[in-house]
Amino acid sequence: MPFAIGTWLACAAFFSFLIAGPANPFLTIANPPPDGPGPNPLLQNHLLMIIHPPMLYLGYVGMTIPFGFACAALLRGRLGHSFLRPLRASLLLPWIFLTVAIMLGGWWAYEVLGWGGYWAWDPVENASLLPWLTATAALHSAIVLERRGVLKGWTVTLVQATFLLTILGTFMTRSGVFNSVHSFTQSSIGPTILAFLAAALLFSVVLLALRIDSLESDGRIESAASREGMFLVNNLLFLILTFTVLIGTVFPLVAEAINGKQMSVGRPYFDAMVVPIGTALLFLIGVGPALPWGRGTREEILRATLPPLATGVVVAAIGYAVGVRNGWTIVTLLFGGYAAHVTLKEMWLPVARSGTSALRRGRRRFGSYVVHAGAVVVLIAIAVSSTTRTSREVRFSRGDSASIGAYTVTFLGAEDRAEPHRQSTIARFAVTKNGRAVTTLAPRMNQYATMREPIGTPDVHSTLAGDLYLSILNVDVAQQRVALHLIVTPMVMWIWIAALVMGLGGLLALIPVRRTSVILTQSAAKGKDLEMADSFGMTS
Amino acid sequence: MILLLIALLQVKAPDAAQFVGAPHGVALQGAALERRTMEVASLLRCPVCQGMSVADSPSTVALDMKAQVRELLARGYTEEQILSYFERSYGEFVLLKPKFRGVNALVWVLPLLALLIGVVLVSMKLRKLELVDGD
Repeated sequence: MPFAIGTWLACAAFFSFLIAGPANPFLTIANPPPDGPGPNPLLQNHLLMIIHPPMLYLGYVGMTIPFGFACAALLRGRLGHSFLRPLRASLLLPWIFLTVAIMLGGWWAYEVLGWGGYWAWDPVENASLLPWLTATAALHSAIVLERRGVLKGWTVTLVQATFLLTILGTFMTRSGVFNSVHSFTQSSIGPTILAFLAAALLFSVVLLALRIDSLESDGRIESAASREGMFLVNNLLFLILTFTVLIGTVFPLVAEAINGKQMSVGRPYFDAMVVPIGTALLFLIGVGPALPWGRGTREEILRATLPPLATGVVVAAIGYAVGVRNGWTIVTLLFGGYAAHVTLKEMWLPVARSGTSALRRGRRRFGSYVVHAGAVVVLIAIAVSSTTRTSREVRFSRGDSASIGAYTVTFLGAEDRAEPHRQSTIARFAVTKNGRAVTTLAPRMNQYATMREPIGTPDVHSTLAGDLYLSILNVDVAQQRVALHLIVTPMVMWIWIAALVMGLGGLLALIPVRRTSVILTQSAAKGKDLEMADSFGMTS
Repeated sequence: MILLLIALLQVKAPDAAQFVGAPHGVALQGAALERRTMEVASLLRCPVCQGMSVADSPSTVALDMKAQVRELLARGYTEEQILSYFERSYGEFVLLKPKFRGVNALVWVLPLLALLIGVVLVSMKLRKLELVDGD
């Protein structure tokens, strides 16, 4: 514990130094303006902006805690069974915050930025995703370590990498080196953070090298076609995903350093690379938990893995029937149906066997399957919403109507409104669906005193089946004309809901379960460690 | 600089033929034209925005570029021709999907290489862990 506290305090000392010196927010400036510029307009107009930053902060900063535990275990050379429990609990909590925070960030972008999407593979978005990917990998490898005693060094490395990626992410957001919609501050703290990143990296690598002997696996894996084998594949895929996103994000800087030419790596690149890996991960969510631990007979393996295929085929066929034609989306539906079948079965089995008391005892296991169920829905919703959306751009005069999907949109008129901090032009539209009035939407165009270009605020009609999204391209009040971007996107809401479910599943897995006598005897010999584990509520 | 480029582009726009030759594709119209316009515009970076594509950005420059894409597609230019037309004016910066060429090929090769190495390492690790069982 003293070593863990030491590591945390070292990190805290660095950030205190940053606030006291290079990034002191309390300096007086030479010529103070009568009224400050206020926050960036994009940050002013949505409620989600109040929740998203603190959640992201907790996720990011929270990763320091497992890093401290990992370093302490390495420093003391105490890498027995006991170091795992506090490590995983302290990893899971910030993971929950980060999961929800990333979703909230995407939701905010969707509600505010006006292009009708929620993820643009922007450097700052990627910065939030990178530690999430390695943390997710670590949560999985920790399970194999617990069950089989393998991947010890690997798990510790992933935990350290997660922390290092949060520092890299802080650098990417704060340094102004990256061209991003989400870089709201520019300051000169880049080099200082980079120096800290280098020091932390060196510290981590040296620690690992010093303890390389105690990191040897003391267990074994009996067969590759087993659940533990799939965990290895899972870790490989998460790592490749992390590497790809990292390369894509920093590559423009590297290329410019090499040949002096500016280049871009954007959404088409990330879509091409990430979609296959994401689809493979969805496949693993299905096939991994279906496979037995250890060595199964050929017949056992087939009996476990074949039946869910029927559900997958049914889900894919339903998708095709309602008009999904994109190949990757069909495959996503196939794997998604498969994974849903396996996940629900794994959730149901213990209950069927021994009633609801199974839920209380196996809460950690149950919680992880809730997370899986959420992840399956998120992946399906992303695939469907990004490949089946329809959009059109229409010019309206007052009274004109236009149709998109089942919706008809009628322009009722536009008006100016003066507010203390901005001039807004609001266009009102009546929305009918299959002839029935549904709602009135009022997207607006805002002119801020501090900004040259006007900033639009879209308006969205959300339903479980899909969203109608209206975003103004330009508007003329005198002539009562408006050019409007209309977008219909199926299933978007499921992304927000299912990501919340993932967070809830994480919480279920985190809540401590009352200790059982088995664990008592197992741990009796390691009294001191048990105390530590208990204080973090991690017994299962 | 960017404004100058835009000004140049306005002048050039009518005779794209002298830069990328005669159209290689089929002239599009109607719904197909709109769909392809969005698809091609999503491959182009809006030069005055922060990382947004021409398809997504509401800025004037992006709207102009989108209109040009629409016009070129309507005249039968292919995606490849249109991309290289814009690349002439703005440089590689405008392409959101980097070409497999020179240093930029690395961004495509490195992840695949990592995957290859990863597969080898994982299968070696699995074999080693399985071997222990045989002893």
